[in-house]
Amino acid sequence: MTDHTHCIRTIAAALAASTALTGAALAQDGGTIQIATHYNQDQMAPLLACFDRYTEETGVEIEFQQASYRDFLQTILTARVGGTAPDIYNIYSIWAPQLASSGTLAEPPEDVASWIRDSYGEGTVGAATINGTLYGIPTELSVYQLFYNKKLLAEAGYDGPPETWDELKEIAAAITEANDQGNITTAGYVYGPSVANAVHIYYAQMYNAGVAPYSDDFRTTNFTAPDSVNIIARQGELFADGITSNSVTTDDFPAGRAAMMIAANWQKQTMQEAFGEDFEDTVGIAPIPGDGGDPGTMLYSFFWAVDSSSDMQAESWDLLRWLNEAQGDADLSCTGQMLNDLGALSGNLSDLAAMPTDDSFTAPFVEAIESGAAASQPNIWQAAENDRILRSYIEQVWAGTMSAEDAMEAADAEVSAILSEQD
Amino acid sequence: MTHDRSPEARAPLTELSDAPRPTLAQRVGSKSVAPWIFIAPMLVFGAIFFILPLLYAGYISLTRWNGFTAPRWVGLGNYDYLLFTDPRFWDTFWNTIYFAAGTILIGVPLALVLAYAFTRAYGQAVWRSIYWLPYITNVVAVAYIWQFLLDDSFGLVNRALDAAGLPGPGWLTDPSIAMTTMILIFVWMQLGHNLLLFSAGLAGIDESYYEAARLDGAGERQLFLDITVPMLKPTLLFVLITNFITGLSYFVLMLVMADVAPQGPIKVTGLYMYEMAFSDQRLGRAAAAAYILFTVVLVVTLVQLRVFRRGGVEAH
Repeated sequence: MTDHTHCIRTIAAALAASTALTGAALAQDGGTIQIATHYNQDQMAPLLACFDRYTEETGVEIEFQQASYRDFLQTILTARVGGTAPDIYNIYSIWAPQLASSGTLAEPPEDVASWIRDSYGEGTVGAATINGTLYGIPTELSVYQLFYNKKLLAEAGYDGPPETWDELKEIAAAITEANDQGNITTAGYVYGPSVANAVHIYYAQMYNAGVAPYSDDFRTTNFTAPDSVNIIARQGELFADGITSNSVTTDDFPAGRAAMMIAANWQKQTMQEAFGEDFEDTVGIAPIPGDGGDPGTMLYSFFWAVDSSSDMQAESWDLLRWLNEAQGDADLSCTGQMLNDLGALSGNLSDLAAMPTDDSFTAPFVEAIESGAAASQPNIWQAAENDRILRSYIEQVWAGTMSAEDAMEAADAEVSAILSEQD
Repeated sequence: MTHDRSPEARAPLTELSDAPRPTLAQRVGSKSVAPWIFIAPMLVFGAIFFILPLLYAGYISLTRWNGFTAPRWVGLGNYDYLLFTDPRFWDTFWNTIYFAAGTILIGVPLALVLAYAFTRAYGQAVWRSIYWLPYITNVVAVAYIWQFLLDDSFGLVNRALDAAGLPGPGWLTDPSIAMTTMILIFVWMQLGHNLLLFSAGLAGIDESYYEAARLDGAGERQLFLDITVPMLKPTLLFVLITNFITGLSYFVLMLVMADVAPQGPIKVTGLYMYEMAFSDQRLGRAAAAAYILFTVVLVVTLVQLRVFRRGGVEAH
């Protein structure tokens, strides 16, 4: 066969294939729905399989777009400015106030809203609710508890986790080791480098102390409350006493170089991969230590939302309901299956009941959700900005450059000024 | 009104009407039109991607805009807030000045001395290539490499210091030195670029100056200070201005390092603007911050130009 003939046959084959594809596309007259999430292709695998099934059943095409968590809001913004916004987002609940205020989010139809209220826990529905209006379907729940390394505690002579903050400090001090240069090599307790690693811990400790970090109307803070100042002052003491430092972070826990941290349940997969067969014997979960009293903590949530500019709104809500209800003989919904594979918890009560959650790692998190001990992260105005401001002041207490009182007063002034901007 | 109808007066008109009109091709090819056609793509590109965004940013800086809804006019409110109310803007501004000044004070003399040394060394091209590599390496890769090297407890740098019996500072984690570490990493990244510019400048200095000075008994130090440095003033001016502008607007390294270093001490105005615009959706305020930074860059650049002109750059 000559090159010329080969070329002609290749072009003919390509034309035939494109014609066939065009024909198939025309046959699908259900339209196309674009879904954007921060989950990557591997994490989305169960959902992507469901998308294919849904397309077969309804003729609606579904396109998946991934955007990194850090750039997610920016991606939405850019897409909307360019008129190419996805129809469905999976968003972090604290982004919702700005998105709702700007009219970006569509309200679900009444039947979908009723189904959400019936199928999800009250706290998780609250995470998707802004000023009394429900904007979406809750998905992944993340709850904060104390992680402790059973082996490191046992080596230091402690056979159980601390129940109070004083005990935590004592155990952490006993475990901490430093090298000749004074740098910590094994940390008794660690914080993390991200904004959430400081601010979410603070919020969780506030709920643990029985004080909400913000007023009920989210227009003022409780940062200067005595419990709040005490929490931050105690954090500063861990740094001042050399029990922790910026050199060691939450990344050192799966490396076996940190004994305790307050973290969320989504770390399960990381811990399993890090400790392998020793996972259950190494990683322990306990309520956050405080001054005694009822253990409280914080949970945060993601939820499915539909863009108000979408011309496929009704179809999008239909799809979302289908994805979040168990289909056929399955125990879990498509979303539930994906979260289960990730080791995450679902806000959907049926999914949560069907998930295997009785292992020693997961049970304390589920207990916190079901008992109501876990309060939903407040959906405050400009949450990301406020959290960053708060982190900067907490860091100054850690560094010893500000007292806890001064830092929380300054944080309160700045954050309150931002909260007062809302209509 | 009188009209001059003499033949002499009408002659030029006759000549004009008889002259052949230039064709379209002739007009396009004329000296008054052709250059504009050649630079038209660049002008259109500049107008769309520079002038219009600049003007639009100027308008946006006078509004409150979150990107989702229509901008709301606030006049000079954003400038007023940043300059007189915002407790963070000036902190980030001084961090920016510290970073830009630090990169110049360390980076420029270092690049100049190395470039001078390499002009007298064997294998100049090899040395230049080695020093050029960090400049073309992805900044994320650079950040990760330095994170490993500068880890407090297990990093190679502190292990080496420990072996020498020296203390190991928290290069990236100690708030008091984190920015200095950023400067040193940036200088390492930028060194090859500056070195190349200085090398080009050095190549342009006539060797006869050095020969004459040597005949007069000048030593190496005198040759460098009295011939090389003065003759390099145009290059020096270019390097200083471009480095200062880069330093004032740079934030990528800090953005990548944000998950390791404390947030406050390494936050420069560029990073603060980025967060304002794309994390906080305060696009109007971010545009105002950009204009303030632009003004500072403009003023400093003009001062540098004036100072160097007085120093004799015009003579070159």
